[in-house]
Amino acid sequence: MDIKTLSRLQKLNQLNLTETEENELMAFFEKAEKDAEILASVDTENVERMVYVMPMTNIIREDIAKKVFTRDQLQEQAPEAMDGYWQVPRLVE
Amino acid sequence: MKYETVIGLEVHVELATKSKIFCSCSAEFGAEQNDHVCPACSGMPGMLPIVNKRVVDLGMTAGMMLNCDINRVTTFDKKSYYYPDLPNAYQTTQWFSPICVNGRVDIETSKGPKSIRIKQIHMEEDAGKLVHDDWSDTTLVDFNRTSVPLIEIVSQPDISSAEEAIAYLERLRDLLRFAKVSDCRWEQGSMRCDVNLSIRPEGSDVLGVRTEMKNMNSLSAITRAIKYEVARHTRALEKGTEELVQETRRWDDNEGKSYAMRTKETAGDYRYFPDPNIMPVVIDDEWFSRIEKTLPELPEVKREKYTGEMGLSEYDADQLVSSRALCDVFEDAVSVCGSAKEAANWIITDCMQVLNKKKMTADMLDINGTSLGQLIKLVSEDKVSRGNAKRILAAMFEGEIADVEAYAKEYGFIVSNDTSAIENIVKEAIAADPKSVADFKAGKEKALMALFGKCMKQLKGNANPQVLREILIAEINKI
Repeated sequence: MDIKTLSRLQKLNQLNLTETEENELMAFFEKAEKDAEILASVDTENVERMVYVMPMTNIIREDIAKKVFTRDQLQEQAPEAMDGYWQVPRLVE
Repeated sequence: MKYETVIGLEVHVELATKSKIFCSCSAEFGAEQNDHVCPACSGMPGMLPIVNKRVVDLGMTAGMMLNCDINRVTTFDKKSYYYPDLPNAYQTTQWFSPICVNGRVDIETSKGPKSIRIKQIHMEEDAGKLVHDDWSDTTLVDFNRTSVPLIEIVSQPDISSAEEAIAYLERLRDLLRFAKVSDCRWEQGSMRCDVNLSIRPEGSDVLGVRTEMKNMNSLSAITRAIKYEVARHTRALEKGTEELVQETRRWDDNEGKSYAMRTKETAGDYRYFPDPNIMPVVIDDEWFSRIEKTLPELPEVKREKYTGEMGLSEYDADQLVSSRALCDVFEDAVSVCGSAKEAANWIITDCMQVLNKKKMTADMLDINGTSLGQLIKLVSEDKVSRGNAKRILAAMFEGEIADVEAYAKEYGFIVSNDTSAIENIVKEAIAADPKSVADFKAGKEKALMALFGKCMKQLKGNANPQVLREILIAEINKI
């Protein structure tokens, strides 16, 4: 992990970190990378890839529309809401 | 140097489902902000997606209409995407095993027929809508569209001009609407297109620098944008006016220009990975053939049938095949009334008139074709007058009428065969209007029409016009 990669990740994730946060994250990523190296060293030749823990297929539902929650109930949890909208910091296109 | 244009299109189509792709919220367009939202589609922690079966049905239908191979095991993946219109911070889409691959769309161009290959069709969720609020200097988020089901149809770079792009998009729209996969309404955003474009020296097999224009939402804008980009690329290569770079550009249709984008789309590091919360969808033979059986005849096959064995004019056939809804009502009506010409006239003239009044499109024609057939039959048997039949038709648009004859009887729309009742009314009309009688006798044909109109009004339209006319002349001649 270097600062260039970290700033790219910041951009991808729309983050604006302070220098202290950057240093903390750098240390975290360095540890994570070492852990990943240990995992990568395990011989997985001839081991089938496992994506799904449960051996299940076709967990599907019929196309029936239902209203389970009201907007007000959902927005009780919202840090900011206005006129029925969730409100987030301004994004400039 | 001569250049050739290379275009690939990515078309997003909203599927005609009642509910969203991974939750049961309504997928209907036009609700109040955040009225179709639940914890799953607003990205609350711990919520699990469950695939809407109808989405898979329609994905398969689209693939079959576009000559694709259907992947019998299809899976969903997460596409990292950090933007508030998708609150999970990823879009659930298909990357590793999309539902359809290797298709083909045949188009007609000024240079003759051409096939455009389809690379793949994948199912995915739509993003929500962001509104930038100047007053509060914040962005407002509406999740109604979040998780509305989409398919993305990715073509190979086989398109070489704006004309071919439009022919491809029109054909795609016709096929998908005909199969009821989507209403494909550009103006409502249920069909949108990303244009990938590059140019290269004619005959070269090396692709040039590619630019992408996202979310184009009208055929005219796509035509203008393609022409603009081809000119811009050509100028850059011939005159060195700018260095072409691989980038996403925004098309401004008002200004007629494209601009480089600096936003989310340029950061194309999506880091796809399989979604472990959505189990693979396995399409067995029974499911596959059930969908295969629902495929409609292609519009051109119907046109051929209508002008051939059914004897309609080219014009009538073209009008009907412009919409699957018209075809369905037409075919059901003909099966009851037996007259293709009459059924076509009723649909193209009378039904369209009602739809226009209601500001509805042909695709929204939702009357029962069998009932329309019964009505046409009653008119042809002189049991209901044409004027009253129009009234019954208007009632059909308000609610289904299963037995049209019973309805006509109940509301007094059946033509009277009681000649004595007609005679009485004719006698009264003659007595009340001696001038018209005298005029008719003096050779003024129009005077008869005046008397005829008065009698028909008295009879509430329920008289056989021929019978009424005969009685009227007979009674006048007695004077």
